[in-house]
Amino acid sequence: MKLTSEQVNDIAIESRLLLTEQELDGATRYINNFLDILDSFKELDLTDVEPFSFAEALECPLREDKVCAFPDTEAILHESEHVDGSYFKVPRIMEE
Amino acid sequence: MELYELSLYHLTEGLKAKKFSPEEVYESCKKRIDSCEENIHAFITRTDEIAKSQLQEDNSGILAGVPTVLKDNLCTKGIRTTAASKILGNWRPPYNASAWNYLRSAGAVLMGKVNMDEFAMGNTCGNSAFGATHNPNDLSRVPGGSSGGSAAAVSAGYVPFALGSDTGGSIRQPAAYCGVYGLKPTYGMVSRYGLISYGSSLDQIGPFARTVRDLQIVMSVIAHYDPMDSSCFREKNYDFTHHENVSIKGKKVALVKEFQDFTLDPAIERAMKKTQEILQEEGAELVEVSLPVVSKYAVACYYALAMSEAHTNLERYDGVRLGYTVKDAAGIKEMFERVRSYGFGPEVKSRIIAGTCLTEPERCEQYYVAATKVRTLIAQEFTKAFTQTDFILQPASPEMPPLIGSQDDDAMKGYQADLYTLPVNLAGLPGLSFFTGYYGDLPVGLQLIGPRWSDPAILEAGLVIERHTGTPEIANEGVK
Amino acid sequence: MSELTFTPVIGIEIHIRLKSDSKIFCSCSTNTDAPANTNICPVCMGLPGSLPHLNHRVVEQGMLAGMALNCGIRPKSLFFRKSYFYPDLPKGHQISQCDLPITTSGYIEVHDSEGNLKKIRVHHLHLEEDVGSLHHSASDGRLEGADTSYVDYNRSGTPLAEIVSEPDVASAAEAVEYVTTLRRRVIYSGASDVELEKGMMRFDANVSMKCSDGRWGRKVEVKNMNSFKALERAIEYEIKRQKKIMLSGGEVIQETRHWNDSKGVTTGSRLKEFYRKFIVEPDLPPLYISQEWVNRVRARMPEMPDVRANRYVSEMNLPREVADFITDDKNLADYFESCVKAGANPVRAAHWVRTEVLRVMNEKQLKIQNFMITPEVLAGLVNRVDEGKLSTTQGKEVFDYMCANNCGVDEAVKNLGITEGGVAGSALDEIIKSVLAANPDVLNEIKSGLDKKGKKLKFLQGLVMKESKGQAKPQEVAEAIANAVK
Repeated sequence: MKLTSEQVNDIAIESRLLLTEQELDGATRYINNFLDILDSFKELDLTDVEPFSFAEALECPLREDKVCAFPDTEAILHESEHVDGSYFKVPRIMEE
Repeated sequence: MELYELSLYHLTEGLKAKKFSPEEVYESCKKRIDSCEENIHAFITRTDEIAKSQLQEDNSGILAGVPTVLKDNLCTKGIRTTAASKILGNWRPPYNASAWNYLRSAGAVLMGKVNMDEFAMGNTCGNSAFGATHNPNDLSRVPGGSSGGSAAAVSAGYVPFALGSDTGGSIRQPAAYCGVYGLKPTYGMVSRYGLISYGSSLDQIGPFARTVRDLQIVMSVIAHYDPMDSSCFREKNYDFTHHENVSIKGKKVALVKEFQDFTLDPAIERAMKKTQEILQEEGAELVEVSLPVVSKYAVACYYALAMSEAHTNLERYDGVRLGYTVKDAAGIKEMFERVRSYGFGPEVKSRIIAGTCLTEPERCEQYYVAATKVRTLIAQEFTKAFTQTDFILQPASPEMPPLIGSQDDDAMKGYQADLYTLPVNLAGLPGLSFFTGYYGDLPVGLQLIGPRWSDPAILEAGLVIERHTGTPEIANEGVK
Repeated sequence: MSELTFTPVIGIEIHIRLKSDSKIFCSCSTNTDAPANTNICPVCMGLPGSLPHLNHRVVEQGMLAGMALNCGIRPKSLFFRKSYFYPDLPKGHQISQCDLPITTSGYIEVHDSEGNLKKIRVHHLHLEEDVGSLHHSASDGRLEGADTSYVDYNRSGTPLAEIVSEPDVASAAEAVEYVTTLRRRVIYSGASDVELEKGMMRFDANVSMKCSDGRWGRKVEVKNMNSFKALERAIEYEIKRQKKIMLSGGEVIQETRHWNDSKGVTTGSRLKEFYRKFIVEPDLPPLYISQEWVNRVRARMPEMPDVRANRYVSEMNLPREVADFITDDKNLADYFESCVKAGANPVRAAHWVRTEVLRVMNEKQLKIQNFMITPEVLAGLVNRVDEGKLSTTQGKEVFDYMCANNCGVDEAVKNLGITEGGVAGSALDEIIKSVLAANPDVLNEIKSGLDKKGKKLKFLQGLVMKESKGQAKPQEVAEAIANAVK
């Protein structure tokens, strides 16, 4: 099923991307081409196939519950232009 | 012979024997960079001064005083790290990538951060916010990507080795294009902590160098257990030291049956034949394996998964905590939209939208979940193949490095060219991109693949082939 | 035409902060009271290149909390990325077990409107990370109308358990009992302290209405309740609101509404619904939990509070209300049980704990764990009163003296000048003698038969009791005086 450019635009907005008309055309073509290729999965019988995980059944390693403070939190704050005092200041969240 | 021309091995031996000093090595490499960089444009950020100060530190590690460069998606504490994207602005990470920590502890010094396709999305190194890198063997051609800067830097003699990352071929293809060796290690062999993620379940850090022995030396340093990466191997030790009397006698090397019908550039075709002869001469047995699902579905599977993971990895770039931002947005949504719309390049945007599209509730099962299952089939196919063979031989790319700017408008065709490399990432396998010789002025590389954790064995096989092909020459086209 | 009736169908989602020293995926402290943005690191700030590494204790806390809700533990669970854009969410996605959680289903028992026990089924409990906290610039500190907000990421990455119920709740009262029982059980398990005033328990409710005429209203998700009271009021409000719409023939629309606690209303969100999609978290391999591990953790599970209360009622004859009261606080119940174990009569001990112990705890702002009188000592005191060695009044005096002076029963008795067993026999006769001697007029009145109502006799008894410092038994005093005035 082909996606319309409106649908692609909705997805873009959901991804917090504003596209120019040209970009939107490109993205629509790109996605529809891509979905065509992905439709080839239908040729495969995947009913009894498990989603992938590494053969060694890698287990999630667990860390001991020990506090180890990051030594340079200042350096983290320093990288933001939105720091106000010790907070990150952001514009209006709730839209009118 | 200039110091910059030495292999990593000879450099470390010479430094150990005090035949020359780390400062002399540094000066030689710096001079080499100065003479070529204008034409090659491998760097995003040069850190000559940092390297110089690192030389002052006392270090007796095996890489003491050896200059290197890192792909700019590896975090370096206090040093700008961009992933070749505008969106990271002048971000200076507050921490080091683990792999870089290991190199630094062993004494390596950082000459700079090198170019790549934005967020490692691309195979030309032309999709960078900092402009294209040129192939040091032929400036009109691409160095390959996404780790093009790393490959070009090693090829041009800037440094004896470099780190890159490989999500679908991003080490192996540029290594082949630039005429150097590159290893994409087994997934989990090198810690990804501090590697700016593209497709997390596919990404792997690996080395570039001008000899196989050099790859072994780098691997012995970076193949290191790291508790910070939950996908990193545990309780395993790998021996990368064997280099004398290595042999592939009696080993089986397979060609992939389904790939035989695909068209290859004549140079690559010829290299395949020549390499098979070498292997036979060395007593290896040539066999054939069948990878039907891989040959038909790997490209679709790979891009579905890479984009699904990528779009979530890129959600964090919102301008609040770091990087490029706007300060006059009226609302948070506007701020996010403006930051992301300006900060990401077109290819990245396309992949974000595609990834979002595939993982939406109504399409997730049909595309994303299906792809995770196809991936299982692909991994199973390789597992079965490796019961029939020790290695698989195949190209790293079906074509020779294209001219800069000659890329097809249809991105999907470009993706198809990755068929030889990306299945390796889907199955988490190691793959060595090795030099086979020159076709005209251009180097030709091929790829050797092994089962998971066979990295040491692949490199040993690489050493055997290298005895026949000789090591690549340092590319001189960049010299002013 | 019969009147329409409405049945509320309510499901509840609860977020509980699990107890741990460090965050779920990094080694930062979970202390959210620290100065803003000091307990942060590359991982919980979602910095490029950082990767999560799972906290062992958080997994165990999740298991404990799940067991407290009668849930099974899944041998293999997974983490996912739940995507949405919000400034308090550093990675733009939350790592959550939403699709393959650590537990299977469970249940909590509550009383329905007729007082019968019913099960509220728990769909599952899963582990996830919390987001940062937002402070809004608007004068009332609320989100609406705020031009700017301030983000503190100290809370980002603190461990949460999300508990999702089936839509089995039929009233606000059931909802409150469900969350109260659930909270008590989780605290008992040790998985969390669930300090409500610190926002360690937050609620969302899915409310819809079934009408007797067969109509079904759409599901409305009500968010932003941070207390039992808010949950109760929000559900009540929503039931009323939806009923009104349905009565007037309108349609309840499916939406997310926010509870405004100060105004006591729910309001529809103007924001387009967050789009949520899940992919498997590629940076965390599956979490495997062996049966052996489950057994080890299960061995640590204490008796659950409602089970304990039932035992107090059936085995110790405690009134239901007292049993519920005491088991509400696990430490208080532990104290009570130690007291009983030391030989105190359970009913008497419960009474003492509930009145005297609690009074002093409140007065002195003490936790029962730090109470100055050990349960064994209290048992001794309770027994002496029970055996009549001390009167109830004396017992309380001794108790207070012990609290104030941090001493044992014997010392308190001695210092208070109390004669154990009371004033009786010749000692009592002496007192009576002196009282009568001091009040000849009263004595005469009684003897002359003028004290028809026995008021004067009572007056003398009072004086004797006073003289004996309350240590005489009133019955004995009455008899002795009666004899003396004959």
